[in-house]
Amino acid sequence: MSDPSLDVVWRACAPRVLGALVRRYGHFDAAEEALQDALVAAARQWPSEGMPDDPKAWLIRVASRRLVDRLRADDARARREERVARRAPTNPLGPMGPADASVDRDDTLAVMLLCCHPMLSRPSQVALTLRAVAGLTTAQIARSFLVPESTMAQRIVRAKARLAEVADPFGLPPVTEMPARVAAVAHVLYLVFTEGHSATAGGSLTIPSLGAEAIRLARELHRSLPDDSEVSGLLALMLLTDARRSARTGTDGSFIPLAEQDRGRWNRDQITEGIALVDAALPFGPVGPYQLQAAIAAVHDEAATAEATDWAQIEQLYEMLERIAPGPIVTLNRAVAVAEARGPLAAMELIDPLLDDRRLRHTHRLHAVHAHLLELAGRPDDARTAYLLAARQATSIPEQRHLHAAARRLEPE
Amino acid sequence: MKYVILIHANPNPWGHPTGHFTDEGRRLDATQRAAMDRKFDELMETVAASGELVVGEALADPASSTIYRWEGDAHVATDGPYAETKEHLAGFFLVDVESRERAEEIAASFAHPGDVIELRPAMWAGGPDA
Repeated sequence: MSDPSLDVVWRACAPRVLGALVRRYGHFDAAEEALQDALVAAARQWPSEGMPDDPKAWLIRVASRRLVDRLRADDARARREERVARRAPTNPLGPMGPADASVDRDDTLAVMLLCCHPMLSRPSQVALTLRAVAGLTTAQIARSFLVPESTMAQRIVRAKARLAEVADPFGLPPVTEMPARVAAVAHVLYLVFTEGHSATAGGSLTIPSLGAEAIRLARELHRSLPDDSEVSGLLALMLLTDARRSARTGTDGSFIPLAEQDRGRWNRDQITEGIALVDAALPFGPVGPYQLQAAIAAVHDEAATAEATDWAQIEQLYEMLERIAPGPIVTLNRAVAVAEARGPLAAMELIDPLLDDRRLRHTHRLHAVHAHLLELAGRPDDARTAYLLAARQATSIPEQRHLHAAARRLEPE
Repeated sequence: MKYVILIHANPNPWGHPTGHFTDEGRRLDATQRAAMDRKFDELMETVAASGELVVGEALADPASSTIYRWEGDAHVATDGPYAETKEHLAGFFLVDVESRERAEEIAASFAHPGDVIELRPAMWAGGPDA
């Protein structure tokens, strides 16, 4: 197994190396393959030969060589097979320019924006971002998502093929499109985070944790766009949620809900950093969903005990969230806050209309919240029925166990 | 999100694609059947190319199966089929998709004359966010 600190270094260089290659030679697809080759070479050589003085320059040099070889081979094949005009890359044999540190930031952002291009499906954007920006191998990504490597490879190949159709892959999108494009990157990082947050596949040391990768990439995005308050909100939300990670699971792998967690096990550094980010972001720019969710997480994280939680403030934040990003899940979460702040009956009024919504019939969370409210309202039999209903729709094994336990607790003597 | 698409059918004789061998499927004319096959091939190409299809298998005749049951202190093997139901499990596909809506869209296009398609979410070992 390779030294994890080396692994961190070469993967941190990935988007910058890729950016440098694409700018110099074009051919995103071939450049990405060459980057993977260089990362594999680093994994082989660095642990025994030591880390080069300038890791990024080393990777660019190795990757450039591979890329030129690749383009030459493609070129030769093209000539052989098609006997058509030579499809020369922009500058296949040009001299290597010095690694320019000043363009690092924009390169990382440009690679992120390209990997999350609107012509790709979300799962493809996620896969490509993990490979080209996070520097994971296809095998690592496949294992993280518990799918065969061939399935993941297919997703990546297809995504790259589609990107080849983009006219100016490395040009930044027009200013008017920028917010939507950055929002797509943020959403992809958020999906990576929630996957890492819930997946257990990462138990193995050979797979970098997706949660940690998402935070690392969100930091990169925040570094590129320090004034984007939603990007700050995204990073804050990740930190404030991740801070509770070790308290969320019992020693037997069972799920521990927020109210029952040992708050002494929460990560104080992450909480401090997250709160500072929210505090800095909220007064500026439009208030978006990530900032509000981060603010809600911050209120939870600031409470010394579950009882000390400022539910009135959480209710208010959910109300704001519902106004800008309405949806049944937000309403459900708001109902939980209303129940704590003003009692279960007020909360039930909120979710009653949702119980008849056919679109939510497969959502276990609706019945789980309903069950909780019925229990608070002193209706144990109805609550038990609702817990069992929720358990039947749950697809998370620990959560289903938790719901069954809640139902059992309410069984009549 | 992972979903299993289960194809329950009673082709007679047993064969794949099941839609060619069910009573209902046989009543289609050649043009209808060709159109159906073409649509299905397109679907398979799409989900394979997109990386949504994880695995899929067509299953042999249920009579070829072996059934194991625990009896007393050991297992006992008997010859299949497992259940005397009208429809048997004829094949399965595992897909990994963005949403339930997408899974439903894919599963619906598996339904051919005489087949019963069942879409079931896979469970996962991870916990919820909190």
